[in-house]
Parts: sequence; structure tokens; C-alpha cells
Amino acid sequence: MFSFTSNSSQRIVEAFVGEYASGKSEIAINRALELKDQGHKVTLVDLDTVEPFYTLRVISKQLWETGLNIISYNREDSFGLGETGAMLKPAARWALMNEGDVILDIGYGVHGARTLNLVEGAFESPELCIIAVINGTRPMTNSRARTREFLEELGRVDAVILNTHLGDQTTLDIIIEGNQFIREAAEELGVPIAYIAISEDFRGLIPADQWDLPVKYIKRYMPGAIW
Amino acid sequence: MPNVIGEPKKSFMTGNETAAWACLAAGAEIMFGYPITPQNEIMHYWTRLAPKYDKGFLQTEDELSAGFTVCGSVQSGKKAFTATAGPGNVLMQEPFGMAEAMRLPLLAIIQQRGGPSSGTVVYSQQEVTLTTFGGNGEGMRIVYSTASHQEIYDYIIKGFNTAWKYRFPVFILGDGYQAKMREPLEMYDPEDRGIEMVKPYPLIGLGGEIGKDREAEHLCNIYSLEEELYEVVMKVAAEYESIQDNLVEYSEKNCEDADVIILSHGVVSRAAEDAMNILRAQGIKAGYFRPITLRPYPQQQLRDAIAKSGAKVLLCAESAYGQLQRLTKQELYGETIKMESLFMPGVGIIDYDIVEKVKSVI
Repeated sequence: MFSFTSNSSQRIVEAFVGEYASGKSEIAINRALELKDQGHKVTLVDLDTVEPFYTLRVISKQLWETGLNIISYNREDSFGLGETGAMLKPAARWALMNEGDVILDIGYGVHGARTLNLVEGAFESPELCIIAVINGTRPMTNSRARTREFLEELGRVDAVILNTHLGDQTTLDIIIEGNQFIREAAEELGVPIAYIAISEDFRGLIPADQWDLPVKYIKRYMPGAIW
Repeated sequence: MPNVIGEPKKSFMTGNETAAWACLAAGAEIMFGYPITPQNEIMHYWTRLAPKYDKGFLQTEDELSAGFTVCGSVQSGKKAFTATAGPGNVLMQEPFGMAEAMRLPLLAIIQQRGGPSSGTVVYSQQEVTLTTFGGNGEGMRIVYSTASHQEIYDYIIKGFNTAWKYRFPVFILGDGYQAKMREPLEMYDPEDRGIEMVKPYPLIGLGGEIGKDREAEHLCNIYSLEEELYEVVMKVAAEYESIQDNLVEYSEKNCEDADVIILSHGVVSRAAEDAMNILRAQGIKAGYFRPITLRPYPQQQLRDAIAKSGAKVLLCAESAYGQLQRLTKQELYGETIKMESLFMPGVGIIDYDIVEKVKSVI
């Protein structure tokens, strides 16, 4: 089984890829905060090359206050950029030069790891781990066959996170059903499963023997970001 | 039509993706477009779907061309659409006017961004005037203002039918928030809900001999003489007015005893409904009125709501500097209810904003 090396001396570099609304940003924020709480120095990079004024921008101040180093556009440094703000923020290009762990939220992650060609040294990095976040309620990943097809199109994927949910309408049945076929697709392709991500609202509601996979309960930050 | 959705299933999506899927489910055959935020993912997603479902896409050199290619495509009998925003919507007014002139079943999805000019790429409700009455015509258009992903899906399916049934251009008026927000909705194949999709049909190149088998089909956007144009515009206006009652849609809540009616449209109406509930819980008799069609406007229904409630104040809340209010004023001519406003151009409005404003005006 795939496992994270949170206690290793080697630093952690993780890039989260996947569809819109798959939960990349949520997972990335939770992972960054988890590492910070373990005493790591963590940089969280909003690598949305298409729509840089969405995703983390609205909550970036709140995230700064947690002690994370955030690389994301904000109101002050986006003045006048308008549509041309779709260019890469220079600090994102050099994100791997930051000391400590680096978590990359690949907005518009449908191009998968290919987007990482914008980050200096990413592909040469022995630490880089590319993790696909899959939500089984997304139309392109709502069956075993579709998830498999999607994963194949993504290119390099080092691990998968099962993140089936339906926002505020999530039920246990939805979580179980979706994550089952994502798991089957990943196993067919031989891609390791990192863990199952579930909103902390479900803590205590899931039978302990439901899965033989690690489960991580995540806090939802993105509803505060409007989108 | 092939079944594209299959078993109805709840999905977690962005509004732009929803729009692309709705067009697919409605049987759209081709999209013409030019990139502009915040509608880009409609194009991106459509181009991902198109090869899988044997659909077409053409990225044109600009928005003028995107609009005109839709005008051409629908004449050949293809169910075509476009999507745009802001300055792109401005440029498309010329082809949208052609669609009014030639009675073309064009469908355009507008995801409003900030203005004037390039404004912001993010959000506003500042394309109300442009979308309802833009161009150099008389606003012979049908404009649905959506408030949720489910409505984006439902009204795109309905919008294609409206366009092909009545042959007036149809607009799905969303905004950057709806475009980018993620929320669940249920997608379905229209036929499974008993919705019969109007089959597209060619408007030109028809069979038979003119004068013998059929009348000549004049699709004209220019006339030689004033009187010719006059006759056409008067005929089109009469036809538009004759179908208004079939088209008007609105939502009204708690207006029976309201002292103040909160008027809003689109995504702001979600905040307005929450505000109404908060105010009611605090003992303030607030009502809610939302035009779903901005063209034609549910003017009689709003007049009736004002009359039956006896409300003293109509508070118009919008993410623009009075575009909905101006539209409303012209429709409510003669009413004496006091009009108050909460204008927040280019920014979102939340329940708190409306609650505070209501308390300050009653």
C-alpha cells in the first residue's frame, strides 16, 4: 500500500491533480495544514494557470494566518492584470526553491502532471509525488470505466485519493458507492491508493471495518471561497 | 436522440460544466465560441465532450464571428449555440440583432463579468441591459436569469425548445459566480422527464417550387425602404407580444402580507430568499419576488404581488448600479410603491447586506 513519509528527513513535495470540483484545493489545504501541525515548514502553491482569481484567492488571507506560506494571487498584486492574470505567478515557477514541504494545488488539473512543466525542477525532483483526486459524483469519473479512462488520460499519477462527495448533499451511500468503483479502477491500473478523504462531518458515522484503506477526515475550507 | 445521461444521477459540478452537459443533453450539435472568462470552461468542457458524442466545435477569430456562425449554422438546421461574457457580449450584439431581425433560433449562454469594458473577469450582474435590450433593435429576445446549477441545466434545455419553437434568440443569463461555483444537481435526458425536444429544421434550402409548393422564405436583415422595415418590425413586435404570457416565469414568496418586497434576480435571489427568512424570523414582514425571465418581464405578476401585499417598499438588490431597477421601473410605470435600492456593482450580495438594508428603509 502507498504510504506517506511524513517522518522521513526527505521533504514532501506533492502535486494534486484532477477534475474541477474533484476536491484538489480542499485536499491540498488539508494536507498542508496537516504537515504544518506536524512541525513542518510548508508552502502551499495555487497553480491555477487558467483562472488564477478563483480557487484559493478568497481564502488566502485566512490560510496565511494559519502559518502556511501561500503562493497565490491576491488583490494587491493582481491590480491591473485582468485577463492577463492567467500568466503564472513568478513565485509559483520557483516554488520548489522554498525551504520545507511544498504542496501544489494544480487548478484546472485536467491536464494532470503536464502543468508541472511550469514549475522549475518539478520533473527532476526525486521527491515529487503526483496525486490524483477523484470524486465519483463527477460526470467524467462517475463509473469504474470512466474513472479508468480519466486516469489513463492524466498521464503520470503516483497515487489516487478517493474523494467521493456531493457537497452538502453527501450521504454515506454516495461515499461508499463512488469510492468503490474508483478503487477498482485504480487497482486495475496498478495505481496505489493513498487514502480515502471524507468530510469531518462524517466522523464517527463510518463503520471502522468499512475499508481496509486509510481514511482521512478533512475540514472543508472551500465553501468560504464561494466556489 | 441518443441517450447521453442515462440513469439520472446527482453530480457535483461547476456551472460552466453544467452548461456544456445541458447543451449536450438538449441535443445541441455544434458550439461556436471565442474564449473569455468566466465562460471558458463551457468551451473547454464542450470540446472534451464533442469528440465522444460526435459533436462539432469551432473557435472563431472573435465574438462577432462566433455569433454570426451560430446565425449561419441554425439557418442550415443545426442546433447551435455560443457562450460569452462582458466585452464578448458587447461584440455579439451585432449577430444577436441579426438573430432578432431574421428570427433565428440562436441560443447564447452569458456568464456576466464586471464592467464597464473589460471590468473584472470575476462576477457581476451588469449585463442585464445589454442582454435584454442590446443592439439596435427592440429587445425581441427571451432572457432566462438562472440562480443555481439545476436551473442552468433546466433552462438550457428549455431555452433550446423556446428558441426553436418561437424563433426568437434565447439567452441564458448566468454570472461568474454561477459559472465557477460547485454544487450538486441532477442531470437527466429530457425525454426521460417527458420533455419533447423540438427538432431543428433548416430555414433555407427548402424543397419544392416557390410560388407553387410553398411561399418564398425571406430571411432578411436589411430592407430597401422605410415602410418595408416598419411592417416587419411591427409584425415581429406583435408576435413577440402575443407569446409573452406563455414565456413569462417568476418566483414569488411571502408576498401576501409583506410590508417590503425584496426584488432580485439570478444568484442574488438566493441571498434575497435567505434575507427574507431571517427578517421574517425577526418579525419583519418581508416578501420575495424574482423575475426568472427578464425578457419578457413578469410585470403583471409583480404588480399583482404589490397590490395584494399592500407593501410600502420595493427593495431592488442587484450586483449592478440599477440595471434591474431601470428595467423594473419601465415595466411598473404608474405604480406608486416606494422604490429603494441596494446596488453593489461587480461584487456579491449576501443575506446580511439585504437584511441591513431592509432595516434601514422600513
